Amino acid sequence: MTEELLVTSSIVKDYSMGKIKVRALDGIDMIIKKGDFVSIMGPSGSGKSTLMHILGCLDTPTSGDYFLDGEQVSALSKSRLAAIRNQKVGFVFQTFNLLPHLNIQKNVEIPLIYAGERPRERVKKSIAVLDQLGLGDRLKHRPTELSGGQRQRVAIARALVTRPAIILADEPTGNLDTTSGNDILNIIEELHKMGNTIIVVTHDNNIASRANRILKIIDGKLQKDGSLA
Amino acid sequence: MALSLKESILVGFSDFWSRKIRAIITIFAIVLGTMSIIVVQSLVKGLQDSTLKWMMERGGLTRIDVGYNWEYDNPRNLNRYLDLREFNQVKNLIPEAEYVSPQITSWRGQISHGKNEVFGNVNGVLPDYPRIEEWKVSEGRFITNLDMNQKNDVVVIGSTLREELFGNREVIGQHITYQNRRYQVIGVMERRFFQATTSLGSDNMMEYYNRYIFIPMTTLITKTSAADEIWNFTIKASTIEETVELRQKVESILLNLRSGEPVFRITSAKEIADEMESGTIVFRIVFTIISMISLFVGGIVIMNIMMATVNERTREIGIRMAVGARRFDIFFQFLIQTLIITISGGLIGIVLGLSILDFVGEYIGIAMSGGTTMVFVSLIIAATLGLVFGMYPAIKASNLDPVRCLAYE
Repeated sequence: MTEELLVTSSIVKDYSMGKIKVRALDGIDMIIKKGDFVSIMGPSGSGKSTLMHILGCLDTPTSGDYFLDGEQVSALSKSRLAAIRNQKVGFVFQTFNLLPHLNIQKNVEIPLIYAGERPRERVKKSIAVLDQLGLGDRLKHRPTELSGGQRQRVAIARALVTRPAIILADEPTGNLDTTSGNDILNIIEELHKMGNTIIVVTHDNNIASRANRILKIIDGKLQKDGSLA
Repeated sequence: MALSLKESILVGFSDFWSRKIRAIITIFAIVLGTMSIIVVQSLVKGLQDSTLKWMMERGGLTRIDVGYNWEYDNPRNLNRYLDLREFNQVKNLIPEAEYVSPQITSWRGQISHGKNEVFGNVNGVLPDYPRIEEWKVSEGRFITNLDMNQKNDVVVIGSTLREELFGNREVIGQHITYQNRRYQVIGVMERRFFQATTSLGSDNMMEYYNRYIFIPMTTLITKTSAADEIWNFTIKASTIEETVELRQKVESILLNLRSGEPVFRITSAKEIADEMESGTIVFRIVFTIISMISLFVGGIVIMNIMMATVNERTREIGIRMAVGARRFDIFFQFLIQTLIITISGGLIGIVLGLSILDFVGEYIGIAMSGGTTMVFVSLIIAATLGLVFGMYPAIKASNLDPVRCLAYE
């Protein structure tokens, strides 16, 4: 497991607010290997969300290089980035971000629609993933009919369904009570054991401690790379 | 990796149905616009067609009518009629006319056969009359030149008079009495019919023709109280192109006969038809503009609602982008949704419009020409509307930044 899945070199991200320039990321260099379970920690405003957006290809750096799965993503067009997000990245958000007017099976199906899969394949794959996460009996339920923990499991299913190279979770337990939070963390650990590469952004030490590496970010700079594995 | 057209339509439809009330309200504007286009255009066309048909029934577009000019108050008390001598003078001056037919009407007269007594309109005519009117004899024959020269006591009667006086019995050779003189019936005119429904109910607008009695003009002048006065006459030009020119010629001849005073009114069916057509064109243009405005307003309503929808669904757009939707996919999703609204609105409008036409057409007795062209034109208009007014909201949606969308509350 020495393959380098994700490499950044001197990533800088500036935001301009009117005439004032704000540097959100100030030269991030990091390497994440295939099968890693990394947590990115930092106080709010430290730039960890910005870093996650760039790692997830939702945003592009102002300067610096970013390679994901061997591809130089920092120079890609917006539609190419959309394709990368679709194929290589699975997002898990703090607020779940499910579509309320669709049932959970349809929600999980969405990435496969944009991947151009046939309807029958989509249904098959989405049901299989939901089954795996213990939601096989609620396929026709709307997200609002489920508990927070169940909703986050749907979101994880949606992230997994395209078999992405990397799973990015942004405060995945932030909106959950302790029990369902632990439940979600167990699932994430399980996914890691199955060989998935996982990055969790959090400010919670308990969550971070489950990862085998902790990256601390303050004022847009990486402070420490505590490699636990 | 592209989202197929079919998928886009499916996504568009499911979005559409997830907000039913909004969708129905939005559709309404387009339904009304399309409906009014179909109804007005077809109604005007139907009216025009039916008036044209009426003119053809009355002798076609080559017909020129000369009669009393109601707009002229005749201060010098000139004769408002031609005597037979003057009439023949006029007739000789227009040899290019196909037929010229005078009529002397002695208004309503009482006619009897045995004990049956009815009223009819007695007309002194020349043998040309049926050809000008394009009206056939259904039994017997019409008046001939021989009847004219010999001033024969013969009549041709309308179909209603025949029924009322004779029922089903044989009529040719029978006699009727008018002003104490016996006339032999030599023919019966075909029944004339033009159906029209008015506020008073359904009616044959040509029924008065079926109460006519025709007597040779010479007989009428010499043997009855009718004077040698031709108040009306009809001319038939040989072609439609010559009609207008002939009318002008007749007008100048008649002005010469009456010291330049417009005692007579000369009208040609061709010119009336042309006038009517230019009248309806203005009418059509005005109504098309009104329909266009209502569609435009509908389009703006749709654009507004789509903008609101894009706003409301900012987060959804972010989620879709995060899981791999490209800008084009988002653009297409919203454009298709607008198109679904306008096209289904157009379809409903067409169906409603056609059913209104059916209903109204039946009520006023006019054949409505809805036509497939009209249906296609309306559909194309509805689709264009969707494209034009859906474009901006769709572009706006597709240009959104996924990071901001995901942070949007």
